Amino acid sequence: MASRKRASSNLNTTSVSTATQNNTTTHSTHTTLLPPTKASNMLKLSLLLFLPYFYLIFYHYGNIIDAQLKRSILINAGLSIFGFFVTIRLIPVASKYLLRRNMFGYDINKKGTPQGSVHVPESLGIVVAAVFLVVAILFQYFNFTSDSNWLVEYNAALASICFMVLLGFVDDVLDIPWRVKLVLPSIAALPLLMAYAGHTTIIIPKPLVSYFGVEILDLGWVYKLYMGLLAVFCTNSINIHAGINGLEVGQTVVIASAILVHNIMQIGASTDPEYQQAHAFSIYLVQPLLATSLALLCFNWYPSSVFVGDTYTYFAGMTMAVVGILGHFSETLLLFFLPQIFNFLLSLPQLAGFIPCPRHRLPRFDPQTGLLTGTTDGTLVNLSLRLFGRMSEKSLCIVLLVLQVVGCCFCFMLRWILTGWYK
Amino acid sequence: MTARKRTPSSSPSIPTPEQPVPETTSSPPSSTPIIRPYKLGQVLKVSLIFIIPYLYLIFYHYSDNIEVDLKRSILINALLSFAGFLFTLSMIPVASRYVLRRNMFGYDINKKGTPQGSIKVPESLGIVVGIVFLVIAILFQYFNFTSDSVWLVEYNAALASICFMILLGFVDDVLDIPWRVKLVLPSVAALPLLMAYAGHTTIIIPKPIVSYVGFEILDLGWFYKLYMGLLAVFCTNSINIHAGINGLEVGQTVVIASAILVHNIMQIGASADPEYKQAHAFSIYLVQPLLATSLALLSYNWYPSSVFVGDTYTYFAGMTMAVVGILGHYSETLLIFFLPQVINFLLSLPQLAGYIPCPRHRLPRFDPQTGLLTGTNDGTLVNLSLRLFGRRSEKSLCILLLLLQVIGCCFCFMLRWILTGWYK
Repeated sequence: MASRKRASSNLNTTSVSTATQNNTTTHSTHTTLLPPTKASNMLKLSLLLFLPYFYLIFYHYGNIIDAQLKRSILINAGLSIFGFFVTIRLIPVASKYLLRRNMFGYDINKKGTPQGSVHVPESLGIVVAAVFLVVAILFQYFNFTSDSNWLVEYNAALASICFMVLLGFVDDVLDIPWRVKLVLPSIAALPLLMAYAGHTTIIIPKPLVSYFGVEILDLGWVYKLYMGLLAVFCTNSINIHAGINGLEVGQTVVIASAILVHNIMQIGASTDPEYQQAHAFSIYLVQPLLATSLALLCFNWYPSSVFVGDTYTYFAGMTMAVVGILGHFSETLLLFFLPQIFNFLLSLPQLAGFIPCPRHRLPRFDPQTGLLTGTTDGTLVNLSLRLFGRMSEKSLCIVLLVLQVVGCCFCFMLRWILTGWYK
Repeated sequence: MTARKRTPSSSPSIPTPEQPVPETTSSPPSSTPIIRPYKLGQVLKVSLIFIIPYLYLIFYHYSDNIEVDLKRSILINALLSFAGFLFTLSMIPVASRYVLRRNMFGYDINKKGTPQGSIKVPESLGIVVGIVFLVIAILFQYFNFTSDSVWLVEYNAALASICFMILLGFVDDVLDIPWRVKLVLPSVAALPLLMAYAGHTTIIIPKPIVSYVGFEILDLGWFYKLYMGLLAVFCTNSINIHAGINGLEVGQTVVIASAILVHNIMQIGASADPEYKQAHAFSIYLVQPLLATSLALLSYNWYPSSVFVGDTYTYFAGMTMAVVGILGHYSETLLIFFLPQVINFLLSLPQLAGYIPCPRHRLPRFDPQTGLLTGTNDGTLVNLSLRLFGRRSEKSLCILLLLLQVIGCCFCFMLRWILTGWYK
């Protein structure tokens, strides 16, 4: 639930004062949307992410990865970088159109300060998703290691992600009731489930084999049900771990980076071409996701010039669920989602209705000090504030993203420790 | 360019001049149903005219030549489509409330000056049709018994293309994308299809010309793919500009889709090549849901319109028909079905290209006194028909234009029959 106070949908009540606000903001939109300091910060952050990635591809696993595979991955990276620049260019343009159609919100965490009455354009996720789709579609032409089976899964993945983006944008525009929203990702995941031609077996962890009696268990349709639920979980969990400037895109960037590293490591450490292909498939979708999300983060990082909308959280969640399913690493993906799982469990009492659930479960903002204080709502955001003391919005976001990174590192460590023992 | 007067997007900053006094008398509070009872009866009666021959062809005329498996798949698809019809019927009023709440509505220009001219008619109901269509098409994959890997790739690519087009159409309805960008959008949306198209890029030279060209089959290569992309652009935009009259956009789609279905069944029945049958069956699997959901929309959109369809619908319908024409390998036949749209496009060319001044809406002139429409000098088939056949009410004008569409399709069938053996 993207917690931006949506401008009241009854346009008749917007007063004349907003008109003057509108004029000043639109006039300065283009220049203030991406201040130079934010851009340079983004560049530094990207370098931090890309260094290990390049190291792994070119050096550590340089000799092991098949030349054609490496070429496909690099072409995909090139296309993704192109997508990054296109997104950077399109976001200010789209913001004008969105503001014109009154799709904006007020930043609740700045209420009481002058920034709290700025019209912040919503649903910029549509730009990210559209560019992602074009990049993903075009990449099919350049992939040299493809076969018919791969094409079916790839197109089904594109159809699923596209459908989710459509539903997400319809939700942003029309405000679909939340009960319907819960089911939407399952519907969007249907092309994937229909086209999924992989095995529906799971490998029983070695210590449990004695209890089960079998080493491999075929789950059949239960596995497909699990896939559908995974899609529902990934999309909605990102949606509720939100509300702080830069949090939604930030967590996606962290998880996507972790997925990329995991994919490269698995390709380098394996000799089974089909296994390598599955992880390469994941790379082909995660690189564009990462690149376009970084472009969005340039604008969305504190203080946010644009809001991402449900379009983005649904799109990102669905893409990651899709790669986790088609790459056959959904348990690893769930471990990357540890903070989101934790947030979901914390939220359960309020979402289920046992404890009263306010419209926004955001921390309390004090305009005087500019600091956020945690409320007793059951979210990771509030819990962090209660544990670590009150802090500014920017440092809170950094804390939460560091938590996300710690979670991903924990996952890698767990996999390393349990190798051989677990599977 | 759906010719509904869109409420000016700057309306929030202007203290509500667009909400005149009549609003309090004409539009009821939002709790009572806003959508007028649909014209379901009329639509069903008319659709029977098509459904009966269709069933006859499947069950009787070609009954022996169509495999049982294929017949079963087609019928399962028909059942799913019917379920989609019912669901769309029930969802349109629900969606209309949400759409109105977000101020996505238009005023019916062809009723300006009468009380109906100040009713807020919800726009972009094509999104309902599009979503239901996608769900049906996705679910159908599970039931198709005559599938193989190549088919699945093309089917999923088709779904991705149509879905992307619906997305772009809806974004356009919400954000009002400039028309130069709108022209290119269908090409972008057609990309999954072009990438996945594994069929031959050859064309069969018409027999009379073979002596001039020197060979019977010509491989066009990437040129054929360019043609496919342009076909997508043409189909979507041509439906978009042949619009503006209550029920015209959906009506023309229903007529063309019916013609496509008849053509598909006839080709399946008359052929022995399984791959050829598969191509036409593929087309049926996408056109049946299109037809069913469009009929549901027509129940609300027929004169007088309770809902407007928006660019979402025209883009979705145009793209779906382009997709089936491409994947079914009958795009020339499709273009002949589009004859009125082609004529309309040619008539519009001077104004669209800018040689003749092009007003925002090129609609006929409405006279509130008589309730009749008079043709202007604009270059559209709508105006041309009014100038040729005299002024008339909006309803009879739409019926006239749809009759023209039917005649165009019949002409196509006749042309194919005459030229069989001679042409290919």
